[in-house]
Parts: sequence; C-alpha cells; structure tokens
Amino acid sequence: MSTEMLAMILAGGQGTRLGKLTKEIAKPAVPFGGRYRIIDFTLSNCVNSGIKHVGVVTQYQPLALNNHIGNGASWGLDGIDAGVTILHPYSSTDGEKWFEGTAHAIYQNISYIDQMDPQYVLILSGDHIYKMNYEAMLEEHIANGASLTVGVIEVPLKEASRFGIMNTDEHDQIIEFDEKPEEPKSNLASMGIYIFNWDSLRSVLMGSSSDEDHLLDFGKHVIPSYLEAGEKVYAYRFNGYWKDVGTIDSLWEASMEFIQLDNELSMRDKSWRMFSKNMISPPHFLTETASVAHSLIVDGCYVAGNIENSILSTNVEVKSGSTVKNSVIMPGAKIGRNVWIENAIIGENAIIGDDAVIYKENEIKVVGYSEVIGGKQDENQ
Amino acid sequence: MKTNSMCAVLGNISRFEGLWPLTENRPLDTLPFDCKYRLLDFPLSSIANANIHSILMVFNEGETRSVFDHIGGGKEWNLDSVQNSYFVYFYQDFLKQKAQGLPFFASMIEYLQKAESEYTVFLGSNHLCNVDLKKVLKQHLKQNNKMTVVYKKMPKGKVSLDASLIKLNDSAEALSVDRLDEQVHETEFVNLCMDMYIVQTDWLIKQLEAGQKKEDSPSIYTFLQQKIKEETTTAYEYTGYLSDIYNVKSYYQANMDMLDPKNFKDLLYSGQKIYTKLKNEVPTFYSQDSKVKNSQCATGCIIEGEIENCLVSRRAVIRKGTVIKHSIIMANAKIKEDVQIEYAILDKNITIEAGIKIIGTKDQPVIIQKNQVVTADIIGGEMA
Repeated sequence: MSTEMLAMILAGGQGTRLGKLTKEIAKPAVPFGGRYRIIDFTLSNCVNSGIKHVGVVTQYQPLALNNHIGNGASWGLDGIDAGVTILHPYSSTDGEKWFEGTAHAIYQNISYIDQMDPQYVLILSGDHIYKMNYEAMLEEHIANGASLTVGVIEVPLKEASRFGIMNTDEHDQIIEFDEKPEEPKSNLASMGIYIFNWDSLRSVLMGSSSDEDHLLDFGKHVIPSYLEAGEKVYAYRFNGYWKDVGTIDSLWEASMEFIQLDNELSMRDKSWRMFSKNMISPPHFLTETASVAHSLIVDGCYVAGNIENSILSTNVEVKSGSTVKNSVIMPGAKIGRNVWIENAIIGENAIIGDDAVIYKENEIKVVGYSEVIGGKQDENQ
Repeated sequence: MKTNSMCAVLGNISRFEGLWPLTENRPLDTLPFDCKYRLLDFPLSSIANANIHSILMVFNEGETRSVFDHIGGGKEWNLDSVQNSYFVYFYQDFLKQKAQGLPFFASMIEYLQKAESEYTVFLGSNHLCNVDLKKVLKQHLKQNNKMTVVYKKMPKGKVSLDASLIKLNDSAEALSVDRLDEQVHETEFVNLCMDMYIVQTDWLIKQLEAGQKKEDSPSIYTFLQQKIKEETTTAYEYTGYLSDIYNVKSYYQANMDMLDPKNFKDLLYSGQKIYTKLKNEVPTFYSQDSKVKNSQCATGCIIEGEIENCLVSRRAVIRKGTVIKHSIIMANAKIKEDVQIEYAILDKNITIEAGIKIIGTKDQPVIIQKNQVVTADIIGGEMA
C-alpha cells in the first residue's frame, strides 16, 4: 500500500505552560471554542486537504485524546482507504520507544510510516488554532523540487526572537535558520509544519541513530543538518489566522477572539469546516432569568444566569443570579447560584458552588478539571 | 439478554390531514422537533438503546426522500454496525397484494423469519415519547402473554379524536380497544394505546399467516389492535413524557412543552439518550443586543434580535430589531431586521424580509411553508 502524503501529528507534548489545564490531559486535547478540542483544527485541516492517513503521536496523558479521536469517524477518517492511528510509545526488544523531541518521535515510529509507505510526510503539531490547506503546500513543495518545505508565518519583528526564524532568498529558499535568535534577521517564523520527502528523511533519521548525537528535534537538529548538507529547503508562507495556544493568556485571548463573529478564522465558512466529536446533547435552554450578550453557546447548556462575552461549552449549567463575564467555561462544568466569574477559564466538569467569586484583577483565573470550588453545594444536586 | 432477542417493526402509515401543510412534502416521521430532532429519532433511539439489531421500516410510497436524507448511513443510531441491518417496505405493496388476492403479509413474515428474534417490537413516530424497551420486555416476560401493549394515561383533551384507547382489567391486562367516548370530559384521564407492542414472534407469524387469508386489515396496527380483543394481552404503563401528535395544534404544543423544564428533562434527559443526525455546526452566536427568554436553540445560529418562548433550529439567523415570540423556527431560517413574529411555525429554509409582521394565535399558529420568501405581512393566517 502506498500513500502520497502521510500526516504525522505530534500530540505528545506536556504543555506545562497551561498549568492546571494540562495536568491530566495532553495539550492537544484541551477543549476550545465551545465544542472543539485544540487538535480538531489540525485534524480537520488534514481531512479538508484531502489527506486520508493520519498518525497521531501521543506520549503524555493520552487518555482524553484517545477517547476523543477514537477511530476517526468524527472526521470521516474511518472510511475506505482512510484511517487515523494513535501511536503511543511501547516497549520492544530494541528498548523503550519513548521520545525526547519532535524528530525523535518520528524516528520511534518509523515502522508505522514504512507500513504506510508514503512519498511525503507532513509533520504537524496538534496545538495550534488555524485553517490551512496542506495540499497547496505539497504542490509548492513538488514544484520547487524541495527536499524539505517549512511552513512559515510573518510575525512582528519584536516577537521574532521567540521563534525559529528562517532567512530566505528571493525564491523563498531557506539559506539560514536561527532558533530563537537574539537579533532576528527576518520575521519569518517556523510554524512547526514540515513536508519531507520520506526517503531522504528516513535515511537521515536512521543514519543518526548509530551516532552518539541523535537528531532529536526538527528545529534544533534536522533543519540545520539539511541546510548543512546542501538540501533544497523551502519556506511556504501562510497568511491566515494562526494562534499558538500554549499559555493560559494566549488560550484565553484566542478564545475571546473566537467569539467575534468576524473572526479571521471564519468558522462559518462551509468550504473548510471544523469537525469534532459530537457529544449528543439536547439543544441549549435559556430560561426566563437568563441574559446573554456577545457569547457563544452550544448544545446541552442550561442557562439561568447572565452570560457576557464568554464561551459556554457542551453541557454547561449556569444557575440564576450568576454572572459569567469574559470567560471560557469548558464542557460539563456546573455553576451554582449567585456566582461571579470574570476573566477566567473553568475546566471540564468543574463544580462552582453557590456564591463563589472567581476573579482576580489583571490575571486569568483558572479552575482545573473536576475541581470543586466553594463549600456550599447545591442541595438539589 | 441475548443480543438478538428483539427485532423491531417501525412505521407510521397514517396520514394526518390535520398536520398539513407541514406534512406536504414529508411524512410525520421526519417532522422537525425541538430545534434539532425529527420525530423518527425517538423510536429509532428507543430501538438503539434496547440493543435491537434488526429493523423493518414501513413507509408510504413517495414519502421516503426526507427519511433517507435524515438517516443516511444510519451511523448515529448504530444502524451501520456489523451486527445491524434494516429494511424498508412500502405500505402500498401490502395494499396491492391484498387487492390481487395475494398473501399480503408474506414479506413481513419473511422478515420476521429471517430476523430470528424471539420477540418483535412494534412502534411508530406519532406518539412522541422515550420508552425503555428493555423494561417493557421485562414486564412481557414476567406476564408471559403472547402480546404486551404499551399505554399511557392521558387527559382526554390531549389525545386525537380518533385515538385508540384500551380497557384494562384488574390484573393489568388489556381487554379491548375502543374509540374515544365523546361523553368523557376533556380533563378526565383515558388509557391511550400507544400502538407500541412486544409480541412473541412465533405466535405472530402464525397469526399473520392466518390473517392474510381472511379479510383482515393489511395495516399491522389495525391487525394488532384486533388481536388485543382476541388474546390476553399484558398492558405496560409508560409514565414518562408523551405527546399524541396528529394535527398542527398538538405538534405546536408538543414543541412548546419542551420549554417547561420538567417535560424537557423527562423526554430528553431520561437516562436514555435521543440520537439524531450529526451536523457539526459551529456554536450559536448571541450578539451584544440579543435578548433571549425561555427559549431553546440549536447550534450554528446567529441571534441578534429578541426571542421569547421560542424553539430555534440549526443555522437560523435572526437579525437586529426583530422580535419573535411563541414560535417554532426550523433550520436555516433567515429572518431579517425589524420583523415581528408571534405564534408561528416557520418551516425550513424560509426568508422573512425586513419589517414584516407574522401574527398567529395559540390555537392557530401561522405556518410558513418550506423555502418561502415572505414579503408581505401575515395576520391570523390571512395575507394583509
């Protein structure tokens, strides 16, 4: 069996900067936008780009991610000659296949990739919010006769030192790569999206394994080694909305942007739909005492309180007298009476007791998954 | 319980004139309900929840387009799993065979023989409810009669004038099926026969074989009601939410019932999930100026206006300055600025131009038919 392009989504990162939100689940499984999880954007992009085979490399806290992805049916990846495979580290006679970097994660899964026998491998990370056509990127990769194409996006020059920066010639061929440079020479940042010709990447990764010096990371090791070897490495420019939601602040900010009807992501554009696992819930119910302004609400919510500039995810309950403002309430959270929640992210299935206040000036407050806040519980529960 | 112990026959062949024009291009089964469901979802979900693997659906000829549009591959109700299979027959074929003097239940008998289930469940879409068929089977096994019929105690005013009622004896057995007695007061309770049965398949096949040689009705529901009179039948009382849907008023009221949290929870949060076609819609957006009171809404909508006591289906767009009260808005509605709507049922894909008034009454909601573009006021069902 041969596949033209196989997508490998790296979903094993711990995402420590998300604190409580990634304590029990991998970052790509963190809920986003009411009825999605972060990885849905990458998975849907794959499907919309005509990619039929996807490997999802997990390592850290994979339970929620496995449960979410299942057999890939939610993305139409369960059809004839299509599939999603969750790749988790395992023990073998060669030792344990845990990985220590992005390239190492691919190295540990060579047998899976060989089995799929792709011509090209698309490396993606499962923790960005964006809509991108990888097919167009592949076309350019082929047209350039490239051996590696790196997805890049222009970032403000003052922020460029946080990224891997590509310096290119006038044809967008990459001549130099600086990982987090102090004095960036350009503002083209790597998105962590790569298309490799599998044959050559395979031999590079296999060659490195015998050395002491592993090629652990794409940014730090593989790209520089490709450039050093004189391989044709090109940049593919992406112009749309792209958000790394790696920190509490950026997750909250991306969520607030997501509420906007004219958000650059254009979620309502039917030609590039975002798919997610459906939770099977009744329509949402706004009671006599509810008031809602500039907010997103999804199925299964039961709202008797005031919602302002916020996102309520599947099966959230907000009782009367409570206010939720500038906040994200993740699936299944229950909010009691006369609660005040402002500038906060409330984790999945959290329970906020009556009269609780979740607010701190100049800070995004986070309540963890299934965390219980407030001593006084609702006697009706 | 053996996985194949029950098979199901699902059908609704009555055409309710009182539902017109909502049923002009669709059977009662695919009438939208409560923002995101179709009436058919309820019996199909009961079947899925009871782990039934084989279903025979009986429809009227020419009424299946919307059914298959909705069911698709059947994934949502688990109809596509390896153990499952479903078949579709047309009621008119039974009628034709009867007219030609042929054994008209032959195809049904063939289905029942192939399904190899000890018990056969019969159910339809016109009694909106959420029944746990495993519980009914338990009762059926305990009483060990040939048939069990499911009924619900309903106030007379809430059932159709030609509803079938059952008479019970002291040991919870159904003795006969009667029509509604006009003498009974509106608020008095009657035992509504829900046309839902569990029957011993072997026995049923024998009855059908005998029945098709006689002048029996080719309608399986009439046939089974007749059997209640002839055979000791267990009566199972369903105590959850039920609506008898037979005309526009009862359909409208059943939807409005969902705005009472008790009914809503009874029907949709009963512990048995109701499955429907998945749509992958985006979250519903409420603008800064939106005002929403006592209403339900599915996903994919944009709400900028004011809604009160309404059920709003997927992808509806309600613009600024618009006020909608006591209405059912089906999928894909485009309601422009400064529209005023009260007591109306807006079918799918309608457009209401800016500034229009549509005013009905509680007993006679105005119906806007599918795909209409409304450019003039409609007051009390009359064009102004």
